Amino acid sequence: MSPETAAATSARPPAARIEEELEVTAFKLSEWMASQGIFIFTAALVLFAVVFIDGFASLPNLTDVFNRAAPIGIVAAGMTFVVISGNYLDLSVVAQVATAAVVLIAVTNAVGLLPAIAFALLIALAYGIVNGIAVGVFKANAVIVTLSTTFIGLGLLRWLTGGSIYFGDSDGPIRTFGTTRIGPLPLSMILFVVVTIVLSLVLTRTNFGFMVRAYGSNREATRLAGVNTPLVVIGAFTMSALGAMLGGFVLAAFSNTAVSAMSDGYDFRALAAIIVGGTSVFGGRGSVMRTLLGVIFVSVLTNIMVLTGLGFGFQQMAIGLLIVLAVTVDALARKTRAS
Amino acid sequence: MTRTELEPQPPANEETSPAAGGSPVERVRVILSRRTEGRAVALLMVVWVFTLLFEPLVWTSYEVTLGRIALVGLVALGLTAVILMGELDLAVASTLAVSGVIMASFDNLLLGVLAALATGLLVGAINAFFVVVVGINSFIATLGMLFFLRGAAFVLSGEQPVRIADVDAGIAFGQPVIGPLTPRMLIFIVAFVALYVFLSHIRVGREFYAVGGNRQAARDAGIPVTRRVFTGFMISGFISAMAGVINTLERTAADPTAGSTVLLASFAAAIIGGVLLNGGRGSVFGTLIGASALGMLQVALTLSGVQVDVQNIVIGGVLLLAVITDPASLRAAAVTARSLVQGRAVRQDTG
Repeated sequence: MSPETAAATSARPPAARIEEELEVTAFKLSEWMASQGIFIFTAALVLFAVVFIDGFASLPNLTDVFNRAAPIGIVAAGMTFVVISGNYLDLSVVAQVATAAVVLIAVTNAVGLLPAIAFALLIALAYGIVNGIAVGVFKANAVIVTLSTTFIGLGLLRWLTGGSIYFGDSDGPIRTFGTTRIGPLPLSMILFVVVTIVLSLVLTRTNFGFMVRAYGSNREATRLAGVNTPLVVIGAFTMSALGAMLGGFVLAAFSNTAVSAMSDGYDFRALAAIIVGGTSVFGGRGSVMRTLLGVIFVSVLTNIMVLTGLGFGFQQMAIGLLIVLAVTVDALARKTRAS
Repeated sequence: MTRTELEPQPPANEETSPAAGGSPVERVRVILSRRTEGRAVALLMVVWVFTLLFEPLVWTSYEVTLGRIALVGLVALGLTAVILMGELDLAVASTLAVSGVIMASFDNLLLGVLAALATGLLVGAINAFFVVVVGINSFIATLGMLFFLRGAAFVLSGEQPVRIADVDAGIAFGQPVIGPLTPRMLIFIVAFVALYVFLSHIRVGREFYAVGGNRQAARDAGIPVTRRVFTGFMISGFISAMAGVINTLERTAADPTAGSTVLLASFAAAIIGGVLLNGGRGSVFGTLIGASALGMLQVALTLSGVQVDVQNIVIGGVLLLAVITDPASLRAAAVTARSLVQGRAVRQDTG
């Protein structure tokens, strides 16, 4: 507090001063929670799980947590670009993850691994470009655009596959990737960390990353600075699509099967992880490293609920609440920064 | 044409806008340029032509078609009230599911209906609280509610469809009462008329346009913005809950997974109906036309034996088309296209 404001507050009557200070403390608390809270909360949750939840700290359970966290984490890391660019979220990751998983297994069975990856890459680019053009060029609402591309994409996938399950080769490279692990860490978790580091560098060290953050904090200023803003949005949605594709690969490798319904709930798990990590839904503020922490938080929370016998319904309720709470803290912190 | 005639000022109601001067043709042009329903009418025409040519069954079995329009349209009506204020309510489909489950878990039918409707009002109030008191973006706040309520519907129902206690009442509810009109259609018509009167002839409703057009200006003009936003979200929650009650009664069981197609179709109906996502412009007429077009399209596709998956592709495509052909979207795209063509010239101008 600067000397002037301190003098001003001390001149007021004590009751008003206390009230004001309380308000300032509350705002400071929300600001602190939005920026630093995730570190404490994640540590506390993990500690709680280790101490109180039977079977959490066992090696098979930890491997399971990692196996489930990795695909969501890779999806969330990519989607972080969309959130930071101020476009709320990419709902279509549900369709993208399932499509990538089915393409990886089905096309590998039919043609080979490399054509499968190439085909999935093309589909990811198509998603990134369609979402990006609708949001970046036509300035349409990202939630509505990605809601419609979700239905188009899932509809196409279910129509073409007839909802059937695809099984991978029992000793192919996909299976090998899915089963290899180093200590408790499956290969997918290591890939997740690598993806996080790479995307983090893209966001913080490249021109593109800088423009995404700039666009998220002030669209008009970024446009006036001569940045090709539609391209920035297309880029952000393409990063999200690439993350969803890799996430789909990892998910397919984990079970060595693929089906169009396998990615249910990836949209809100990824969003919850991003927001809980402290990336602002108002755009401009956040990092991929924070998303990593958010993913750990959401995955551990989900695991605790599974271990204590709370089903999918309770998990959805909890994650819905978590999103609203995290955004509330974010909104309060924003008010603090503004004042 | 003078400049004043060209300015598109909300609210654009033909009854109130003075179509000043000029020939009758000119006057019609002015009125048309102020309307927002153009795209919905175009879609409806296309659907009419195609159904008349390829699937006349849509017209002969009009009871089915009307029922479908009422299904799509009812939730879209509530959404219209929220979107007019520049907000979104993504929780409508989950509200529908959870209120259906709540209704079915009561033994007494009347109590169940009341509880379900109260749930809808409560959900609307909670949404509005987060949007206007806490200051969270409505997309994200209602998205959180969407997941929360969907989970709640699963938990309350034990992830199973819940049969209603009074099955006979449910079956009776599905029967026509006046001519071919079932209670669902009657409720839809009543809701439509009520919302039309509310939004265009009652002061509180007309202020929705002001809140959506320019919130700060509305506040400065003395409009209680917070209360209006609460009213809007509660209308949307109430109507979604009513749709949940109707669905549950007609099917004699509550489906906790209900509503994902409803979400898509009702948004498509409202947006293609010309309700501007940024708020301030649109009408329930547009929503009605949009819902009619989509309802007929769905019935036509079903009757031609098209799978649900393909129907979702079509409706998703319509929604995507609807958001990018919004006048504001087209303007934005035109600006981008122009700057691509003459990029250097524009940059020199501004620099």
